[in-house]
Amino acid sequence: MKKVLKCTLFVLGLVLILGLIVPSGALAERVIKIGVIYPLTGGAAAAGRELRAGAELAAEIANTAMTTIDMSMARNAGIKSLGGAKIKLIFKDHEGNPTLGADLAKKLILDDKVDGILGCYFSSVTKTVSAVAEQHGIPMINGTSTSPPLTQRGFKWFWRTTPHDKWFTKDLFELLKGLTEGKVKGVKAVAKKDLINIASACEKTEWGSNVSLMIQSWAKEYGYNVRKSMLYAKESPDLSSEVRSLKAARPGVMLFASYTSDAILMVKTLKAQKVKTNVIWGQDAGFEKPEFRNTLRDSIVGILTRTVFLPKVAELKKVAGQVNALYKLKTGNDLGGASARAFTGLQTWVHVLEKAASTKPTDIQRAANAIYIPGDELVVPWAGIKFSTSGDEIGQNVLGGGLIGQYQKGPDGKIGLEIVYPFDVASANMIYPFQQF
Amino acid sequence: MEALKNALDFSDFPRIDLTVAGLVLIFLLAFPVLGFSSFAMATMIQFLMFSLYGMGWNTIGGYGGQVDLGKAQYVGIGAYTTAVMLIRWDIPFWVSMPVGVCLAVGWSFIIGYPLFRLKGHYFAIATIATSLVLKDLFEVWNFVGAARGLEISPIKFHPPDFLHLIFKEDVYYFYILLGFFLLGIFYINWFRKSRLGFQLRCIKDNEDVARSLGINVHWAKIKTYAIATSFVSVVGSFHACYIKNIEPEDTMSLTISILIALMAMLGGAGSLWGPIIGAGILIPLKSYLKEWLGATVGLVGIDIIIYALIIMLVSAFEPRGVWGIIEKLRRRKRN
Repeated sequence: MKKVLKCTLFVLGLVLILGLIVPSGALAERVIKIGVIYPLTGGAAAAGRELRAGAELAAEIANTAMTTIDMSMARNAGIKSLGGAKIKLIFKDHEGNPTLGADLAKKLILDDKVDGILGCYFSSVTKTVSAVAEQHGIPMINGTSTSPPLTQRGFKWFWRTTPHDKWFTKDLFELLKGLTEGKVKGVKAVAKKDLINIASACEKTEWGSNVSLMIQSWAKEYGYNVRKSMLYAKESPDLSSEVRSLKAARPGVMLFASYTSDAILMVKTLKAQKVKTNVIWGQDAGFEKPEFRNTLRDSIVGILTRTVFLPKVAELKKVAGQVNALYKLKTGNDLGGASARAFTGLQTWVHVLEKAASTKPTDIQRAANAIYIPGDELVVPWAGIKFSTSGDEIGQNVLGGGLIGQYQKGPDGKIGLEIVYPFDVASANMIYPFQQF
Repeated sequence: MEALKNALDFSDFPRIDLTVAGLVLIFLLAFPVLGFSSFAMATMIQFLMFSLYGMGWNTIGGYGGQVDLGKAQYVGIGAYTTAVMLIRWDIPFWVSMPVGVCLAVGWSFIIGYPLFRLKGHYFAIATIATSLVLKDLFEVWNFVGAARGLEISPIKFHPPDFLHLIFKEDVYYFYILLGFFLLGIFYINWFRKSRLGFQLRCIKDNEDVARSLGINVHWAKIKTYAIATSFVSVVGSFHACYIKNIEPEDTMSLTISILIALMAMLGGAGSLWGPIIGAGILIPLKSYLKEWLGATVGLVGIDIIIYALIIMLVSAFEPRGVWGIIEKLRRRKRN
């Protein structure tokens, strides 16, 4: 009896000592906290929902072993090099407000003690959030903001996976050039005079105003006339006067950079004023959201949008199809440009953490600068992910690329996006000229 | 000397007011060491900023009864002056801030002169229009970065930099702003007892009577408008260094103008404590409702509904704001 008592006391003592020595969290499952800042309310709330779903799906795949997906991050449950640590996403809503974004970044870094940041979709918010991350030496990966200057600031803690508007806008002019040279699938060579006059309307924050500059710059280089270049206030209640002004320019090509609510209102106003033009092109964002398609239905047949992901990619790329099926199960929609890039942003985080095998910021920084993710790992049709570490653009993925899709009505009567650029992967004949409203 | 005495003299307030103000001051001074989160600190900085904006607005809007809905233009002038001078010529905040005030006051004289020929709603609409026009001009003016705005690069300075007001920790910003906040209270305390303060209250009650008493109504309004502008411009300059990124859409938006007026009106226009009470209610409410109900509980957008409901209830119950409710209760107690 005495022996049993002694043994029990010894075990209890051992447990007590262990309890005192070993910190309480050490035996718990290790978690890596990533702060995710997106616009979950306001004019871009639809995009925010899509971005959130994309990032959440990537975290689910990273945290669970899924043998049905041909991705290295799906093979393990958690980050293998960190002992199976799980990714935990902490979402914050910036409402499209750069000041609020900066405050939220401070909260994530100082109060929630996140290991890194992902976000923020709005380039203007990405600008203030990345400045806070830079000051505090916390790594930030951006998957969805396309304003070119973001990676031209010499920041050491900021990496961007998505290609930016300089290259997206160049793609558009390559498409216009292809139209005049008869390279576009299903369209005979078009006289340049039908396309030479351009009118553009871009929302006037960091993103839209840079797109406007890019349009002017590439138009000059490719020999097009920008007859009207307009900036308008985002989330405008009325765009009638803007559209009247665009219409007066009698453009052959109309270009837009608009978030969801503006893109819908813009097309409704174009329709109401029966604007005539040959090409309508949207710089992604609002022009490729499910809400845009569901609200405007047949009116958008023939409208072009640049993107990085179309459901057609899922048919051409196996891994994209696998992820798209999961995403559709989760949300009821196909992956879009925003959700696919949010997914890729978080996937890059997983690869960087795996390579770093640590959550120390300097280790993450070193791993991000050295990372290479091959294209066949990605849902987006890029050659891969590799960040530049020198030159004018620090932290920019140099292996990204864009697509241009066109809304077309399928045999089943459903409206979807078909790839029209790059020409070699075109999935359908392009509708040219734009069917008039 | 007389002015300084008046600024520091709060003897006309009941003891309870001064006790509460003293406790609030002690709380503010000790705030950074009380172990609050960084989000609370950011919210507190917003509170101090909007209190100062509100104090400025209160001179012309509260004491003078001229509803100004265009204060964002002066936030922009202050912020852009500091940002441009800092980025282009490396000029310290303490030099650029007064320059910003001078430019803002100059602009306020230019537009104030014709604007104060208008009255009531016409004046309010005209202030909105001038603010939006200036914002549109800034959006196409390349010297100030046009719609892309200006960024004070965090990697070009070595914080803590007291000259350029560039810090990594918010605590420095907090104490500097708290200094401005206290100066603002003393100034408004002097202002309300000054000749101009009395003239304004007379103008608010009845312009014709004020004119018959020999008050130059137009000039009194213009001078007060310039005082209100100075407050807003100083905080605008501070905002540039604090956020380090300014764009017309963010800094000069109509939302900022309306928020400034709303804080003062909700707290109680025409009283010393009104704008502070308004900012003290609305700023934490907005931040924390969003954080708790929006981000934590997942009720995205519910914060906006509750926020609007509180504003509607206070406006319906007592149009003179929270300070009006307090005074009503006091009167009831006395009777």
